[in-house]
Amino acid sequence: MAYADATFPLVGVTPAETYLSIPKIIRAATETKCDGVHPGYGFLSEDASFARACEEHDLVFVGPSSDSIERLENKLTARKTMHEAGVPIIPGSDNPLKDEHEAVEVAEIIGFPVILKAAYGGGGRGMRIAHSKEEVQRFYRVTKLEAASSFGKSEMYVEKQLTSPRHVEIQALAGKRGDVVILGERECSIQRRHQKLLEEAPSIGISDTTRSALSEAAKKGLEASGYTNAGTVEFLVENTGRFHFLEVNKRIQVEHLVTELTTGIDIVEEQLSIAFESQMNVSQNEIRVRGWAINCRINAEDPRRDFTPSPGTVIQYHAPAGPGIRVDSALYSGYTVPEYYDSLIVKLSAYGRNRKDAIRRMRGALDELEIIGIPTTVPLHQAIMIDKQFNAGDFSTTYLNTFTPKLNEELARLEENAAALAAANRIISIPIKKTLPTHMSDWRRSGRPHIHRPSW
Amino acid sequence: MIVEPKSKRECRVTVNDAVIDCACDRLEEIAAWAITREGVRVHARSRSLGSDKVEVWVGGLPFQFLVTAVGPGGLAELTKPTSRIESGEIRAIMPGRVTSIMVELGDEVSVGTPLLILEAMKMQNEIVSHKSGRVASVRVREGATVKKDTVLLEVR
Repeated sequence: MAYADATFPLVGVTPAETYLSIPKIIRAATETKCDGVHPGYGFLSEDASFARACEEHDLVFVGPSSDSIERLENKLTARKTMHEAGVPIIPGSDNPLKDEHEAVEVAEIIGFPVILKAAYGGGGRGMRIAHSKEEVQRFYRVTKLEAASSFGKSEMYVEKQLTSPRHVEIQALAGKRGDVVILGERECSIQRRHQKLLEEAPSIGISDTTRSALSEAAKKGLEASGYTNAGTVEFLVENTGRFHFLEVNKRIQVEHLVTELTTGIDIVEEQLSIAFESQMNVSQNEIRVRGWAINCRINAEDPRRDFTPSPGTVIQYHAPAGPGIRVDSALYSGYTVPEYYDSLIVKLSAYGRNRKDAIRRMRGALDELEIIGIPTTVPLHQAIMIDKQFNAGDFSTTYLNTFTPKLNEELARLEENAAALAAANRIISIPIKKTLPTHMSDWRRSGRPHIHRPSW
Repeated sequence: MIVEPKSKRECRVTVNDAVIDCACDRLEEIAAWAITREGVRVHARSRSLGSDKVEVWVGGLPFQFLVTAVGPGGLAELTKPTSRIESGEIRAIMPGRVTSIMVELGDEVSVGTPLLILEAMKMQNEIVSHKSGRVASVRVREGATVKKDTVLLEVR
């Protein structure tokens, strides 16, 4: 906020009172005489009524039209649109389920396990996996109730659960004339409870043939949906290369950074250009994907306590820097991470000539990053960076399911290092009567000629 | 644990067969260190909290220790202070309503076992156990509205 030209208070504490309040946001924009609103991601970014409210108040909504959002908001209609455009979809129901009996019928036809999904859900929420007829019957009503309370609408459908697929998504920019430019794919398989933790561009798990096919499918699908502005088409890819449409994200995403790093395109700038000037500054034949980028989502969660949120005060913060390092964060020394919002506090990206280079830089960046005061998920990312499987590119969406032993190994090492440090801290602070040999390097000795002993 | 001072700013510590070199880079309120282990060097911070308590930050996590003795021969005794979390109290991490309790008095649980659902901001938050043991007490009823930090149940 310190960097903004103007700020407007959204009075309230919870998201419902603030960032989810359409009237408050519209008032903020109109009273400060804004030309438009960029909805970011999460909150109202994919809310058709918010887009419409902007249109009604002569505010440019930086994203697709409210009609477009409405068409894609219902995941069932999105599936239908994609299917009709020739994009492969996951086997499942075509229409909203009447009741749990229909859910069981469809499940028995497509085969278990299945996923019960809310038509208005998304981003990994509003879904439950069922492995049997009994589980479908047991979970149907609960999931429907949750959908009603979380999304306002309780329409449900069923999809087959694929075995250990990869999650690969295609980033696109669509101009007002419906011209679609593809900016390449992102590999987002590493997830915990369907929430992405780490993303890469490009994907190490797909062949060039699959890459082209995914890009073609994404383009066809977005053209058929009359989509405009930035958007991402998500796919589940089996290890045979066969892929299926999952969802359209009709907004910019958390992980768009890795695409920006590998293409050199500023996606937010393109979004503004499409929204306000009805033009894109790039064409398909200009797009080149070069090098490799990885993004780690650092969350305020304690990996020692099953990732329990750990809001609190960050007494000291230091961001890593250097070639190929990009940090997106609102943290500063003294900042208190609130308990009301998402636990994501730092997006740490590393870019390199190739994947090995990017991983090496990420390891250094994770070490240099300092968030003192609260536990964070940094140890999980370090454990992933040193993992042989990850380095070999051998992973799918089930990767983290069996990762606990590796994480525990890293946590045990950290605890040993911590214990060693605690003891060392105590020793160094005790006045030493005898003169000990100084094994300090010349570099260090010359840089610190005066050693002051503090009074601990 | 064996601690050998190597210089005014450096120590070599042996923990569970691992040899860990700790070198203090900057003596500030939150001291900066370089820890070297098996040839890999990482950054860490530490702070003395008075008497024998030390807080350290390593690899993204905070740790607290009581350094009770560093005797001749460099043998060090460290204990982790019992925090509220270790004590087995499962508290509400945010204000909300307990919509469902999945365990009963006496049930055996382990780390990660779902204990109850706390509804907050229209989201169903699954509260899981952070220690293994038995459910020693259930302090709330289904439907109860709780404030942040309220003890919900205890695992011992």
